[in-house]
Amino acid sequence: MDYILHILIMVGIYSIVAMSLNLLAGYTGLISVAHAAFYGIGAYTTALLALKVGLPFWINIPAGILVSGAVAFLIAWPSLKTYDDYFVITTFAFQIIIFSIMNNWVSFTGGPLGLPGIPQPTIFGITISSHLFFLSFVVAFGILTYMFLTRLVNSSFGRVLKAIREDEIFTMSMGKDVMKYKVSVFVIGAAIASIGGSLYAYYISFIDPTSFTIMESIFMLSIVIIGGAGSLRGSIVGAALLIFIPEILRFIGMPNSIAANMRQIFYGGLLVFFMMFRPQGLLGEFAFGKSGHKEPKEVRKNA
Amino acid sequence: MLKVDSLSKRFDGVQAVRDASFNIQQGTVTSLIGPNGAGKTTLFNMICGYIKPDGGTVHFKGKDINASPPYAIAAMGIGRTFQNLRVIKMLTVLDNILLSVPDHQMNGILGPIFKVLRKNSELGCREKALELLDFVGLREKADDLAGSLSYGQQKLLSLACCFALEPSVLLLDEPVAGVNQEMIINILTLIRRLKETGIAVFFIEHNLGAVMEVSDRLIVMDEGSIIADGIPSVVREDPAVVEAYIR
Repeated sequence: MDYILHILIMVGIYSIVAMSLNLLAGYTGLISVAHAAFYGIGAYTTALLALKVGLPFWINIPAGILVSGAVAFLIAWPSLKTYDDYFVITTFAFQIIIFSIMNNWVSFTGGPLGLPGIPQPTIFGITISSHLFFLSFVVAFGILTYMFLTRLVNSSFGRVLKAIREDEIFTMSMGKDVMKYKVSVFVIGAAIASIGGSLYAYYISFIDPTSFTIMESIFMLSIVIIGGAGSLRGSIVGAALLIFIPEILRFIGMPNSIAANMRQIFYGGLLVFFMMFRPQGLLGEFAFGKSGHKEPKEVRKNA
Repeated sequence: MLKVDSLSKRFDGVQAVRDASFNIQQGTVTSLIGPNGAGKTTLFNMICGYIKPDGGTVHFKGKDINASPPYAIAAMGIGRTFQNLRVIKMLTVLDNILLSVPDHQMNGILGPIFKVLRKNSELGCREKALELLDFVGLREKADDLAGSLSYGQQKLLSLACCFALEPSVLLLDEPVAGVNQEMIINILTLIRRLKETGIAVFFIEHNLGAVMEVSDRLIVMDEGSIIADGIPSVVREDPAVVEAYIR
C-alpha cells in the first residue's frame, strides 16, 4: 500500500513541476532546461531552513518560492535576450551553474553528501508522517497549483503568452512588452517549480545534488511534451504515465541495476515516438518542432 | 502628425533608405510605392521601432519616438500590419482582437498574479471587439480559430487587430497583396472609412490600381531614396517615376 502511495506522491510532485514548466514551454514556447535547478533551489531552501533554523513548512515553502523566483529573475534577463535554440543553451548553462553550486559549496549545501534528516512538516502540531497524510498534503498543493495556473492561462495574460509562443513580432505590434511577459512567466514558472522541490525535500527527507541534474530537467520536459504542451491536465497525465509505466519493469522481475537503465531507454524511445507520431502530446494543443508561422497539420482546440 | 526627418539606414554596404523626409497628415491616405528592394518596408520598420535608423528622426504628435521600442510605439498609436501576414492562428478571431487590450495590470513582473486574483474586467472590451469584427465583416467567425480563416479573411483580421489599438496612424504593408478582387474592394472601403474617422493611413502597395483609387498622396521610392512625392495624378506622370518603373 505504501508503495502505491509513494508512487502517487511522486506523481503529485512531478505534476506540480510539470505544470509549471508547461507554463513556460507549452504556453509561452520558452523551452527551458533549467527547471530542475529551480526545483532544486526550492528543495535546498526548504531543507536548509528546516534543518539549520528550524522553521515550520508554512514559512519554508514560501521562502523557497521567493528564493527560486529571485534567482529566476536574475537569470531571466540574460537568458531571454536569446531566442529559440540559444535560449535552450543559455538555460542549460544556468542549470549547470546552479548544479555546481549545490555540488561544490560543501559548507552550505553539504556538497555531494547532501542534506540528510530533513524533519517532517507539522500542521497544527500534527506531524505529517504517514504516506497517506503526505499524499493529501501534496494533492492540496497540486490542486492549488492547478487552479492558479488554469486561471492564469485562461486570463488575458495567458492569451498574450500563447501569442508570444506563435509570433513575438505580431504580439509586439499589438502593443505588448513581450520581454516583460517572458520574464514574468519565467519567474512564476520557477517559483511554482520550487514548491515541488520543497515537497520533495520534505517527503524524501534527504536531498543531494544528483536529484537536480540536467537529466531531471529533460525528464520534466518529457512529461510536458508527452502529456501535451499547452495543456495543464496533459502535464498531470504525462507525470502519471512516465512515473507509473517504468514501475512495471520492477514487476517483471528485472533487477534494479538494469531497470534503471531500461527506464532511460524507455523515456528516450517514448519521446521519439511522440515526436514522430503525435508531436502535440496526449492532450496538447501545440506541436513542438512546428513553427507557429506555418500552418499546423492539425489545428486542435484545447482538449 | 507623423514627421519623418532624413531617416537613413545602411545594411552591410547597401543603402536601404537614404535621407527620407516627409509628413503624414491626419485624415489622409498616403501610399508608398516603388520597385522591390526600394526600402519601403525598411522605412516602415524604422518608423515602428523594429529597426534602429543610422540617422534621422521620427516624431509622432511632436514627440521623438526614435528610442522607443516597437510595443511602446504601437501603444502610442501607430498601428501596423505586416507584409507576410501575421495573426495568431491558434487563437480565436476574437482573442486576436482582444490582444490589443492595454495591459493596465502588467505593472511589474508580479502583475499577472494580481490579475489572476481579480475579476475579469474584459467584458467591455469584448463588446468593442465584436463591434470591430462587425465593422470588418468577421462577426460570425468570432469564435473560430484564426488559422481556419481564408487568406483574405486573415488579412482582414490583421487589419482589425491593428484598428483595435485605436491608432491615429496606420501603416499597412501591402494590404491588398494576394487577395481576390472582391476582398480588395472590401479592404479599400475599410481604408476610406478609416480616413473619414480622422486616422492617417500610410500604406505600401504594388497594386497600382488600388493605390490610385484610394490615395490622396503618393510617395515613390527607388533604391532607398524618395524620388517623388505629391498628388497621385501628377506623380504618376513624373519622368523619374516612369523611369524607375520601366527600368
